[in-house]
Amino acid sequence: MKILLIEDEKELALSIVEYLSRESYLCEVASTFTEAMKKIEVFDYDCILLDITLPDGNGLKILEELKKENKQDGVIIISARNSLDDKIKGLQIGADDYLTKPFHLSELTARIYSLIRRRQFNNSNIVRQGELEIDLLAKKVSVNKTMVALTKKEFGLLIYFIGNKNRVLSKSTLAEHLSGDFADMLDNHDFVYAHVKNLKKKLNEAGCEQFLKTVYGTGYKWEG
Amino acid sequence: MKNLLQKSLKQLTVFAFIVFALSIPSYFLLVDWIWLKELDENNELIAERIENEFNEQKISNEKLAQSIQFWNEIQPVSKIELIYQPLSKDSLYTVMRPNPYSTKEAIDRFRGLKTSIKINDQDYSLVVETNVEETEETVAYIAMVTLLFFLILVIGFWILNRRFSKKLWQPFQDTLQQLKSFQLNSQKPIQFQDTDTIEFAELNATLDKLLQHSITTYRNQKEFTENASHELQTPLAILKNKLDILLQSDDLTERQYHIAEEMNKALVRSSRINKNLLLLVKIENSQFDRSELIGFDTIVLQSIDALQEHFKEKKIDVSTDIHSNIEVKGNSSLTEVLISNLLINAIRHTLPEGSIRITVSKFAFEVSNSGEQPLSPDLLFKRFSRMSADNRGSGLGLSIVQEICKLHGWTVKYDFGNNAHLFSVKF
Repeated sequence: MKILLIEDEKELALSIVEYLSRESYLCEVASTFTEAMKKIEVFDYDCILLDITLPDGNGLKILEELKKENKQDGVIIISARNSLDDKIKGLQIGADDYLTKPFHLSELTARIYSLIRRRQFNNSNIVRQGELEIDLLAKKVSVNKTMVALTKKEFGLLIYFIGNKNRVLSKSTLAEHLSGDFADMLDNHDFVYAHVKNLKKKLNEAGCEQFLKTVYGTGYKWEG
Repeated sequence: MKNLLQKSLKQLTVFAFIVFALSIPSYFLLVDWIWLKELDENNELIAERIENEFNEQKISNEKLAQSIQFWNEIQPVSKIELIYQPLSKDSLYTVMRPNPYSTKEAIDRFRGLKTSIKINDQDYSLVVETNVEETEETVAYIAMVTLLFFLILVIGFWILNRRFSKKLWQPFQDTLQQLKSFQLNSQKPIQFQDTDTIEFAELNATLDKLLQHSITTYRNQKEFTENASHELQTPLAILKNKLDILLQSDDLTERQYHIAEEMNKALVRSSRINKNLLLLVKIENSQFDRSELIGFDTIVLQSIDALQEHFKEKKIDVSTDIHSNIEVKGNSSLTEVLISNLLINAIRHTLPEGSIRITVSKFAFEVSNSGEQPLSPDLLFKRFSRMSADNRGSGLGLSIVQEICKLHGWTVKYDFGNNAHLFSVKF
């Protein structure tokens, strides 16, 4: 899997590359508008992470160029600008997703995972792990061919875990993922525990092996 | 409250009244003095004429004595009497007595002259008296005329005042109107009307200077906040990502994990403060479209739904009275922020097993939650002023609510009653 990261902030780029390279991702970095344009001309990527504010140009121009060339690369905009206009504009031009800085790398990984899965498996997008089967398109989960009824939040959590296999996810990270903007305003993150408990219980009752492990007391890790 | 011109009119009227009142005795004294002086001259002329006419007759002394006796009978007011020595000095006097020629029984004032004359080389004393207008009558006439002029003056003032005040104060009214509609954050410069009145021109110039200064200061402050927040975004993002990487280290101990988790929480709070500051700046810059038609009740229901797990977590009893099809004009994302800020505020500050009531009607959106102590309404909406010991919020939530309301022309109010805090937003 090839990923192009277009980001002018060196430290940020380093962190993202380090985190992603632990997956089977091959990550390239372009730190300027010109560098990025050169790269997308020559290569094709499975996913492009695009910062809008670049020192020598607007990232949205790169997106426009991609669409003009009819390239099939998936694009996730990562922007420091939390402006609704930018978001709408980016998605209109043809970005697949939009993430506002600062974000958790686990959140980014989960989005990349979903994006690539979506692009690779157009018709039946099914993830399998042991007896567990997840239909990403239909948003259905089954264990040993038996359907497990999950709530929207529980399904979201499951995908988040799958997208961040073998990684430590802290409670506060999950809280931010689950309630988005609200999480940081509500200091009580116990609701995360309730959702995880329910998910575990449902999978367990359906006869699924325990992939989700508790680490360091309050953190979680999906093993597989 | 009276307007300025009415106030000055009152003072002027009082002053004019005093001047006119003082003028009455002055006029009287003057007129009386002229009158008496003229009468004295007149009396002297009469005396001279009598003396001359008697002397021109060239009659004998007996005949003269008879004539004088006859004269005294027909002219009782100008008596001639024989004296043996001429009077050392003429005397002038004023008397009040009945008029012998008048049929009316009235007392009149007379001006008299007692002088000595020589007829046929004999000294005689002569008294000439002439009727003078009485004091009271003179005063009354003068007072009447003065009062008439006083009235003309006051009415004149009043009419002129009304006629000129509008024209005279027009530049001032214009300036006032401009100032009333001026908003520091609207970024619209004020253009005062040109005026040829020195005072107004000076006022406008001073105001202009003052406003320019305020606008510049305000803009600088806003730009500073905006730039500072933008600059902070990147280091915050770097910190967050480094923490994510730290969490994945294989040799991480549980203690280190918890430290990293605490750091992440603090980081989340900084990002929130940062985001909120930026949001405030954007609202103040009016960078939001306010013309959307929003289904207010729908957003409230969605927000309640999104927060359901938090209500449950704290075992908060939620009751709602939400009318349907409540449409308001405004910005939907800001309205969403307003609603969730108020709801989250209620959740945070309600004790476990407390209660929250949410109502939406055509005129207002209200959130009340159980509490024990009333809060200070002045400090509540102030940035970074925290009401409770719990200081984990961003300290900006209610300021944002207030700014959003201001932008939409709504009002937000806080009340405390029946052991409940009530926040109400009136459309």
